[in-house]
Amino acid sequence: MSADEFDPMIERLFARSPQMADASLFAAEVETKLHSSSRVRTLALTVAGLIGGVIAVRESVNLNLHLSNDQAPVAGRVIGQGLEAASLNVQGAVGSGLSQLGLSDVTLGSMGGMQLFWIAAGALIAIAAAGVVRLSQDV
Amino acid sequence: MPKVLMDHHDVELAALAAAGGRREFGELVRRHGSAVRSLLRRMGAQVAEADDVAQDAFLQAFEKCAEFRGEGTFAAWVKRIAARLYLKRKARDARYVAEIEPGEEDSAPGPDQAGLVDLDEALKSLSETERLCVSLCHGAGLSHPEIATAMNLPLGTVKSHVKRGLDKLRARLSPDVGQSGRSTHVG
Repeated sequence: MSADEFDPMIERLFARSPQMADASLFAAEVETKLHSSSRVRTLALTVAGLIGGVIAVRESVNLNLHLSNDQAPVAGRVIGQGLEAASLNVQGAVGSGLSQLGLSDVTLGSMGGMQLFWIAAGALIAIAAAGVVRLSQDV
Repeated sequence: MPKVLMDHHDVELAALAAAGGRREFGELVRRHGSAVRSLLRRMGAQVAEADDVAQDAFLQAFEKCAEFRGEGTFAAWVKRIAARLYLKRKARDARYVAEIEPGEEDSAPGPDQAGLVDLDEALKSLSETERLCVSLCHGAGLSHPEIATAMNLPLGTVKSHVKRGLDKLRARLSPDVGQSGRSTHVG
């Protein structure tokens, strides 16, 4: 048998693979892993979202808006005062909501908003870098 | 298993899986799991290792399902993923060698009686690297340059491994060539 005849034959032999007896079991294991990885991902995203949301709300409650300014034009002052009032209303509502949940006294040590921002940014950059490294390994 | 799912074509199932359909993907695993596991075993993986890599390959395929456009078969696509994963695993272990082993030429046993040797048995007569190269080329459908890149071997070396591997397989699997090969040894 020449090489020209043998090459297609060997490809046919490779393509011919009988169904294994435990094929269904194998498929079930893969499906189980898919379900569990999906659950872990959903849980991680939910937790991250909740933590981020709580921090964002907490920071917005502590925010002091100084929108009124004597030197601003009258229309600007009116808009500023309106925003400030609306903001205070929202802050009050959220604050009372957090108080009811027992989260009004949540503090993150002595860290300020900017520190938290830079920590979060650093963590995101580290995650992105790890993702790039992983991707480069996969390619 | 609903009959309607079994009637779907692979491309349709892959499209549904890309939209998050785990049940549809499960059907694809059921259809092609054995082929992927067989390929890995033919590449030289032990049974448990082959199953591990095959599982990882299918999980990765599920993540990348949107990339499957149906140009080739779904099985071929997953086989390529699985083959690359297995190579990566082996590269970590640094188990395959870059050079052609000296004196390896005569190590292949002659053909069995009447050439009745199946592929899996015949592959055992190949060296580890030959087996990998032949399986990657003819089982996973990788080109020689792709194999060279994946295995970090020179292209010429890959071609040599494939040629030598195929020569050995031909001697084992093809009765007429096998008989002449045997007579050469005897004579």
